[in-house]
Amino acid sequence: MSLEDQELAELKSKIGRDPTPTELQIVAAEWSEHCSYKSSKRHLKMLPMDGPLVINEKGYDSGVLDVGDGYVVTAHIESHNHPSAVEPYGGAATGVGGVIRDILSAGTRPIAIFDGLRFGDIEKDLQARWLFKNAVTGIADYGNCLGIPTIGGEVEFDECYKNYALVDVAALGFGKKENLIKNHAKKGDVVVLMGGSTGRDGIGGSQFASDSLESEDRSAVQIPDPFIEKLIIEAVLQARNDGLIHAMKDLGGGGLSCAISETADALGIGIEMDVDKVHTRESDMTPDEIMVSESQERMLIVTSKTKLKKLEDICKKFRIGCSVIGLVKFGNLVHIKKGKKTVARLSADVVANATLLDLPSKEPSYLKTIESEKKFKPVSDYSKLMMTLLASPNIASKIWVYGQYDHEVGIRTVVKPGTDASVLRLDNGKYLSAKIDGNPKQCYINPREGAIGCFEEACRNVVCTGAKPIGMLDHLQFGNPKDPEIFWTFLESLKGLTDFAKFFKIPCVGGKVSLYNETPAGPIKPTPVIGVIGLIDKKPSVPQKISTGDCLLIVGDTKNELGGSEYFEYVHKFVGGKCPRVDFEDSKKHMKSVLDIIDKNLIKSAHDCSKGGLAVAVSEICMTNQIGCRVSLDKVPGEKLDVDRILFSESHSRYLLSFDKKNISMIEDILKKNKVSFKQIGQFGGGQIQFENDSKLIIDLDLKKAHESWLHALPNLVLHGKKTT
Amino acid sequence: MAIFQVNVTIENKPGISDPEGQTILNDLVLKGAHKTVSNIKTAKMLKFTIKEKDKKSAQSKVREICDELRIYNPMVSIVTTDVFEN
Repeated sequence: MSLEDQELAELKSKIGRDPTPTELQIVAAEWSEHCSYKSSKRHLKMLPMDGPLVINEKGYDSGVLDVGDGYVVTAHIESHNHPSAVEPYGGAATGVGGVIRDILSAGTRPIAIFDGLRFGDIEKDLQARWLFKNAVTGIADYGNCLGIPTIGGEVEFDECYKNYALVDVAALGFGKKENLIKNHAKKGDVVVLMGGSTGRDGIGGSQFASDSLESEDRSAVQIPDPFIEKLIIEAVLQARNDGLIHAMKDLGGGGLSCAISETADALGIGIEMDVDKVHTRESDMTPDEIMVSESQERMLIVTSKTKLKKLEDICKKFRIGCSVIGLVKFGNLVHIKKGKKTVARLSADVVANATLLDLPSKEPSYLKTIESEKKFKPVSDYSKLMMTLLASPNIASKIWVYGQYDHEVGIRTVVKPGTDASVLRLDNGKYLSAKIDGNPKQCYINPREGAIGCFEEACRNVVCTGAKPIGMLDHLQFGNPKDPEIFWTFLESLKGLTDFAKFFKIPCVGGKVSLYNETPAGPIKPTPVIGVIGLIDKKPSVPQKISTGDCLLIVGDTKNELGGSEYFEYVHKFVGGKCPRVDFEDSKKHMKSVLDIIDKNLIKSAHDCSKGGLAVAVSEICMTNQIGCRVSLDKVPGEKLDVDRILFSESHSRYLLSFDKKNISMIEDILKKNKVSFKQIGQFGGGQIQFENDSKLIIDLDLKKAHESWLHALPNLVLHGKKTT
Repeated sequence: MAIFQVNVTIENKPGISDPEGQTILNDLVLKGAHKTVSNIKTAKMLKFTIKEKDKKSAQSKVREICDELRIYNPMVSIVTTDVFEN
């Protein structure tokens, strides 16, 4: 762990002397990219963060949204990429633990977990398979032990994550507004560290996350312990109910260093603490190690001396460690002692606020030619191609993944994973829907439009459940920001997200930036992952069984936008083409219309068109409903295109509505009134998935065979190394 | 050539927490009357039966297999091998 030369010089000039070794460690942890956001913070301010439902309080680690009737929902997203790339089981599990404590630290109970996973090409790469399998097990073991349902997420594979892993975890919390922790502290309050003991694990973790994964020094491994986490959740919530918590912060990257300095800085207080008071796992730990250890399952709580006894009793009842490690003082000094000896004494403001960088950016040269397409070999057999696509890792059913997660514990889950977005029941009679989405293939081709696309896709998914988007979480994952071309892609994505968020008035309630995601083969593709939270006031759209004679209608135009599509990349092995663009006005009209239609209870289910385009979306509806369908491609609205483009274009703002024939005129009336481009394109029935063009059959799949292959392709590959063809 | 047994013990590196061991210690052993116990660590053991020319090559062969097949994660765990003549 070290500071760069000019940072060291800056620190010296700020404090007017040479820092002690402990001070150096503390500042190095806090000034790392991971904790300080020094490259990105300056620009993140452009995102709209306020809205009528947003509740802002100092020192919150998660976003808070008012959902009415005295209740709030909290949300946060985090990643654990570097640790998961070297130890997928522990890395993914501790990632879940971290984001849950962020939810907890606002004083709300965690009620749902989401995870977005990205790995290399599991068809060829054995290590990617190992990473994938173990990361999923890690999330399942941790979340299941905690009794918090994992209700959604996404899994994607791309060459650019070779020898690496992106493990993003989001969580939602729920609680009463009156129970929110109002972070405050006054002189004489005590600082308590509760939870697991502090050991040598994870030392230098935040620094590690701020470097490229090249060195062999991979010591930052943490061992998850979900049972302690569960006890912490219950103990903290009881302490909250008893009014014992003045301020609270979870210990994440940078350990005590960051928690102490950020708490002191946010609350405008000084903190004096003694490292000898920290309950440690080993007896011979140095002050530096104690300050930067990233041992899991720990919380920092500020309480008054009079309430301390009650807090200690609660910790005793739940049998978790609890030590009084410091005192709140006037001023804003972070004063770290070992017994009587001072080992660090710094202004919290200096530690918690690294100088923000203004990094140069430059449009990457590869983008100049990326849109031009090459000539593809004509496809001779679309049915065969379709079977291959349905069994491809990115499109195959992810039931093997979410089947390992308990997604119903807590009995809130009304719509389960496997559809567009899951839905949770809230105590005030409303419903909450949420989804996270990313698309590095499109973001690589066009960082701005790609990022907007992820945002819109997540919105579409929650809209399909009947929910109105009320907040978003952004997780921006890029390579080394010091490369101007990479930094340009970061800025473009951020600007796109900002424009979309402003247009739709969806505030950003939380987020994370993860930079330096580099593998030995180079930087990852730009990977923004967007989470959208939607609220349903009345009744969610629970997908109903589609039966023979029901109609299929598409909302939105299909355009010549196949850049980054599975068809180009998986079938033709071609990276390039035109990235799908979201037309904001159309997008808004479509969302409104679909919500209107759901509100009037006119459809059986709504499904969005995304990965794999129309062909895959229709097949998914057929397979999950165990019913055939015949679709006429010549009826699909949009410009005149070749059949392969109509089938596989990944244009945004498209929805597939399935409904009983008798409702057609009412649905059409709403769509016409909103001036939406739409068309009835098919009818359900039989046991074949069929696509025809001008009455000529293009695709004819046996529903059972297609379903079999789609359902089992992933476990066959991961567990048995067998590729489904 | 002779038959050897090689026991491979896989355990967390020192300093890395061991929730399972701690739980057995705190919730089982110390709950009873066994106050002299101060620590418990969990580990996994694999017992290989192998045909090699001597003890040393039996041990090194097993070690090689464990490393090559990633039977343990070197980031988290350490392995120790003990060899016995069968």
